[in-house]
Amino acid sequence: CKKYLDINTNPNTAERVDPKLLFSYAVTSYINLRSSGDLYIPFALAGQSIATGGDNPTGWGVPSEEQYDISSFSNGNSWRTYYTSVGGNLKEAIKLAESANPVNNNAAAQCKVVLAMSVYETSTVFGDIPFSEAWNTTISYPKFDAQKDVLEGCITLIDDALKQFDDASPLKIVDYDLFKYNGDLNKWRRLANSVKLRILMTMVDKDPSKAAAIGTLIGATNNRISSADDNCLVPYQDVAGKKNPKFAINEQYNGEVNFFFGTKNVVDFMRPLKDPRLPKFFTKPAKATDYFGVENGETADDDVNVRISTDLQSASAPEVLFTYQEELFYEAEIYARGLGVPVDLGKATTLYKKAVEESCKYYGVDAGTAATFAATLPAITNAEAGVKLIDMHHWVDKMDRGIDAFTQWRRSGPEGSETPALKLPIGAPAGPLFRRFEYPITNEISVNPNAPKNTIKFTEKMWFDL
Amino acid sequence: QDRTITGTVTDKEDGKPLPGVTVLVKGSKNGTQTGGDGKYALSVPSGSTELIFSYLGYTSQTVTISGSTINAVLESDSKSLTEVVVTAMGIKREAKSLGYSVTKVSGEEITKARETNIVNSLTGKVAGVRINAQSGTLGGSAKIIIRGSSSFNDAGQPLFVVDGLPINNGAPQISTSAGAVPQGSAGTDFGNRASDINSDDVESMVVLKGAAATALYGARAKNGAIVITTKRGSKGQSNISFNSSTRFDNILKLPDLQDEYAQGTQGLYNRASLNGWGPKLTEVAGRNFTDFLGVDGPLVAHPDNAKNFYKTGQTYINSISFDGADEKGDYRLGYTSTIQTGIVDKQKLNKNALTFNAGRKISDKFDVRGSVNYTRTKGEGMPTQSSNDPNVLIGANYLPTNFDIEQIKNNYVDPITKEQITITPSRNGNNPYWIINYNTSTNVVDRVFGNGVLTYKPATWLTISNNIGTDFYNENRFLPTKNGTIGALTGSFISANLYNRVINNDLIATVDTKLTPDLSLKVIVGNNIYENFNRTDQALAQNLTVDGLYNFSNAASVINQNSSAKSRIVGFYGDAGLSYKDYLYLNVTGRNDFSSTLSKANNSYFYPSVSSGFVFSELMKDNNDWLSYGKLRASWANVGSDSQPYRLAFAYSGQTTAFAQYGFGSTFPFNGVLGYSIPSIIPNPNLKPQNQSSLEFGTELKFLQSRISLDVTYYNTNTKDQIVNLALPQSTGFALKTVNAGSVRNKGIEVTLGLIPVKVTDFSWNLGVNFATNKQTVTLPSDVASYSIASGWSGLQIKAETGKSFGIYGSAWERNDAGDIVMDASTGLRKIVKDKRLGSTAPDWTMGINNSFTYKNFNLSFLVDIREGGVMFSNTVATLRSTGLAKETLANRGNIFIDKGVIETGSGYSPNTVPVQSMQDYWGQYTSTNTESSIFNSSFVKLREVSLSYKVPNGFLQNKVKFFKGMEVGIEGRNLWIIKSYVPHIDPESNLFGANSNGEGVEFNNFPSTRTIGFNLRFKI
Repeated sequence: CKKYLDINTNPNTAERVDPKLLFSYAVTSYINLRSSGDLYIPFALAGQSIATGGDNPTGWGVPSEEQYDISSFSNGNSWRTYYTSVGGNLKEAIKLAESANPVNNNAAAQCKVVLAMSVYETSTVFGDIPFSEAWNTTISYPKFDAQKDVLEGCITLIDDALKQFDDASPLKIVDYDLFKYNGDLNKWRRLANSVKLRILMTMVDKDPSKAAAIGTLIGATNNRISSADDNCLVPYQDVAGKKNPKFAINEQYNGEVNFFFGTKNVVDFMRPLKDPRLPKFFTKPAKATDYFGVENGETADDDVNVRISTDLQSASAPEVLFTYQEELFYEAEIYARGLGVPVDLGKATTLYKKAVEESCKYYGVDAGTAATFAATLPAITNAEAGVKLIDMHHWVDKMDRGIDAFTQWRRSGPEGSETPALKLPIGAPAGPLFRRFEYPITNEISVNPNAPKNTIKFTEKMWFDL
Repeated sequence: QDRTITGTVTDKEDGKPLPGVTVLVKGSKNGTQTGGDGKYALSVPSGSTELIFSYLGYTSQTVTISGSTINAVLESDSKSLTEVVVTAMGIKREAKSLGYSVTKVSGEEITKARETNIVNSLTGKVAGVRINAQSGTLGGSAKIIIRGSSSFNDAGQPLFVVDGLPINNGAPQISTSAGAVPQGSAGTDFGNRASDINSDDVESMVVLKGAAATALYGARAKNGAIVITTKRGSKGQSNISFNSSTRFDNILKLPDLQDEYAQGTQGLYNRASLNGWGPKLTEVAGRNFTDFLGVDGPLVAHPDNAKNFYKTGQTYINSISFDGADEKGDYRLGYTSTIQTGIVDKQKLNKNALTFNAGRKISDKFDVRGSVNYTRTKGEGMPTQSSNDPNVLIGANYLPTNFDIEQIKNNYVDPITKEQITITPSRNGNNPYWIINYNTSTNVVDRVFGNGVLTYKPATWLTISNNIGTDFYNENRFLPTKNGTIGALTGSFISANLYNRVINNDLIATVDTKLTPDLSLKVIVGNNIYENFNRTDQALAQNLTVDGLYNFSNAASVINQNSSAKSRIVGFYGDAGLSYKDYLYLNVTGRNDFSSTLSKANNSYFYPSVSSGFVFSELMKDNNDWLSYGKLRASWANVGSDSQPYRLAFAYSGQTTAFAQYGFGSTFPFNGVLGYSIPSIIPNPNLKPQNQSSLEFGTELKFLQSRISLDVTYYNTNTKDQIVNLALPQSTGFALKTVNAGSVRNKGIEVTLGLIPVKVTDFSWNLGVNFATNKQTVTLPSDVASYSIASGWSGLQIKAETGKSFGIYGSAWERNDAGDIVMDASTGLRKIVKDKRLGSTAPDWTMGINNSFTYKNFNLSFLVDIREGGVMFSNTVATLRSTGLAKETLANRGNIFIDKGVIETGSGYSPNTVPVQSMQDYWGQYTSTNTESSIFNSSFVKLREVSLSYKVPNGFLQNKVKFFKGMEVGIEGRNLWIIKSYVPHIDPESNLFGANSNGEGVEFNNFPSTRTIGFNLRFKI
């Protein structure tokens, strides 16, 4: 009888796995979220770095996320992905790596860097979030930590990872390293430091004491992303079921016509510069004389307005997590503002021009044209105007990166002085501009007695957003 | 040589003549009926020796022929009530001996107006049994809730037992991509497998409602049991029986749409919008607009679009059976064909059921019996429901009036390019006829169940029997999406094979002996072995090269998934029954189960039951006229139950897909690597059995020679230590954790009343009323604020909370202390608050009223079904309102509208004076941001069933068509009329959550229900 009943071992699952298997699922889930209809489309539209084209028949249509009509699926699925598919698996992978014999320190550290990146991002989407008590099977109802504490926690996580990397150990995630670093620990270290810089730059306006850490971080050499080779990105594949979701939605719903249009905020800035990225970002209608965007919410004219390029959003286009130019834009801003370093407008000029040049090259402009274009850009002579110029170029570079562009915009200045100056999209409800996702009700709020009781509206600013 | 015999039949109680009594020459089909004066005349062949007098409600009598006048006196069978019912483990008991409530529904009752799903035929007929049909999908699923939902996270379906074999009644879902809405529940309704039981083969269905009644079945029957006995050959001559029904189905309720405004937004025509918020037709008369075909023309109303979309469905049910028996054995072979077409093109259901049942006495001590049932069910064109996959209703039922459904129907594919002609140019514009004609979901179920029973009687007091049976089915589901379908322009298909097998063996020994002349003892001991195995293999094929070829070789990508699960139970049980003088009964049962699904420390559990019946009228039968029968019964039982398999160990599962919205997640291997994930549920290695205790009291009373009968039951059931998947905030990294926690108490009263208000010559009126009320109370551990039973959309949830019943929760209007709705001072629109309780999903009470009128050979009966209380959410209503299609959205268009409510001032509240910007904004905000606005009282009164039948008199048949033994013709109708409902636009009986979820009260663009009218012909030769 005992033997007859001893059949409760699940034939469909494994009770032991290598941490790399959890890492790959976490990273794939993470990039899918970032490029999907749950995160990319709402933030790119509400953040006005792309446009729907209003009632254009092959546009995204209204009302939509551009009118702040955010589906509860979007905030629910984003939350679920950040916490379960990404965070839960990374935490478990860290546990498995650290409890293995021998300990796989590098795999644990690699997971920590990605976890820090993801948690930082979760906080920029939702504000105060569970962190110190999250992912602990003995705590059923994690408390919500203040954003400042979450971001500090991310920095600590990165510092832990940096200490944990062990060049002497052959154990690390190599073949499953979806960032294509192939387990190069130096590349991982540089990514870790650059992510740390990103977090510090997001905090520094609200917490000026972070300037010192910024100064220390950029005082060191060769510890941050220092070439396009270090870019942190995951390519998609031009194979059914593995295509970039940005491409797939156009392919499966719109006959490969891109749903989205260039917004005036981006196109009107680039057009007078004759920016060589224009044809890389956008597809110009045959009848149009030049590149013209639409106002957000405005109905686009197929003969006039540019759409987002299907080359930019191709089937195999990668999801980008960190680029060399982002690093350079931060550094330019640091020298223009004197964050932890003395103000150095000359250095700022060099860095931002280099950033634009790298951006051009990244988006497919040939090196010569990129260099020529960067050289035509004005030098920074005034710190305040210079910072605005750097912020604008930084935002344009992140045009296609949804939440990243939106965070860049929010941290670029206090309310009303952000770069660029955005106005309410046509058809959006009267009131302030969009600032965040609301917390998901079913996934968290209604089941967590420790969650905030009051609704925090999508128009409310979060801690870092002045 | 024939002779004529005459006589009068009278009632023993009052000596009055009895009309309508069947008088039959024994051993022949020769017979007649008594007239209004109780007299009869019958021509009897010379060799005949006996006459049989029979009448419903009376004990039949056989009288030896002597002389030419034979009178008979019939006695009402209530005093000598020997009705036998089949109880748990197939044990037959006299109804009067039972200490718990059982309800028997005869096969005749369920074939009066046959349902394709046998579960639906119980609707309104049994007190305390609620049937919840999911949709109007052909072969769609129906859920049974007995005495209230007792579980947090299983659908709480009763055990179905056919001839002693517990069969599967699953409604399995298949998940098509990680995180996607599973097909089979929210998507397509593939039915519940109890629907494979063929009504025509059913002799009786016994509903065992309480734990005392089902205790011997063990864990599997904690939600009650439906014990079905199939028909057997009847002694006498061989019979061939035919039963043929032809029926017509029409949509029961059409939405009430406006036909004054065209498609568009904010008063402007827009062909990219499927809203009815465009211009007023009368105001743009004479102007031309471009329609979906690109043709310019005027905007004209088409008020009959919804009506024209639905057609008349047809159902043909034909059955034939051959049966016969003699002293040594019996046989029955039955075949039933069901052919059904839906109310939307391309919907079909085809069911063939074959059954064979035979028994034989091999010797005086040894019996064998076997039965086998084979059913093949093929469903085609099952509509997708909810909002996730292409739902044809969204495109066809919810059309702005300027569309012409006929034009859409005739123009869904471009004749030259073969591409789809969409009804709007944007991403929501699938032409409904494209979906209907090409994306035809089908399922085919092949199912066999049957058993073999050996019975050995070594002594008169001892019986040993073994019943071994198996039930297995394979279901293939196929869901094609043709190239050119918006959302999957490169085409795809899903193919899934679902296999399920049950093996069951019961070895039972029965000792039946008289201890003293007045005291009898019956002891049963048994062993049960039960195994359930299921396996699902499914594949999603994407990117099809050759259009319309649904073969894996034609797909650029195929994602395969497979899973299987097996569980076993070994049980030992015993039952001891004492009866004293046929009026006092006591039964004690015990069962110990060993389950494979629990940890070794917790996998053995024992549960007892005690029940008693006391027929007190036996003690007072000599000195009362008014009480014909009186009985008291009481029972107590405690039942344990196990878990689903594999819920103990923490394990990692290989992933086929990493989720991304709109179904564009990446499949593994991705960039050459695989992916694994932690479970979404934190398992629990220390799970213990859940436990249900129940207490039941009842009485059965019959008065005035059974003209009045009353059955009242009170029950109190508490299911505690529930094995639940407790929802965790996802910030834990998990969605759920498995725990033993919480209890659900159900207390209620069931009343069944039978009345014969009129019984005169040629005419009688029988009235049956069943009433049930149930109060459910949840208790959760103190640290659990609420438990989520099922989630809907936009924050809607079905939840359990301590001290309350299961309810719908969601966003509600913000109200001040005075109860006024608070408006936003800047927009004039209502403000909302989240996560509020909006009402209970279960009714306060239900009632079925059945009237049956018999005049001579005519019978007219009708069943009224009443539900009072509870609420439901309708997304159809929400959609029709937010899109400006519902008739009520005509009010105030173009006028200044100020919603009634208050606005916050610095110090308090003042009446709202802010007009809304437009009625589109008003209805949009009214319905899309909010759950409360689409919550309705789900009470209803329905005319459920009407049947009119005529039994051709035997005398007539005897004289005219000799080879007929009986013939009956009838007209039948089901779901004829919603007499009262509080839900606009839809039938209040609709449930997104199928038969394997315990969520109810949510309608989400479900396929509408139908009204059925048909006729029926039965005859026997």
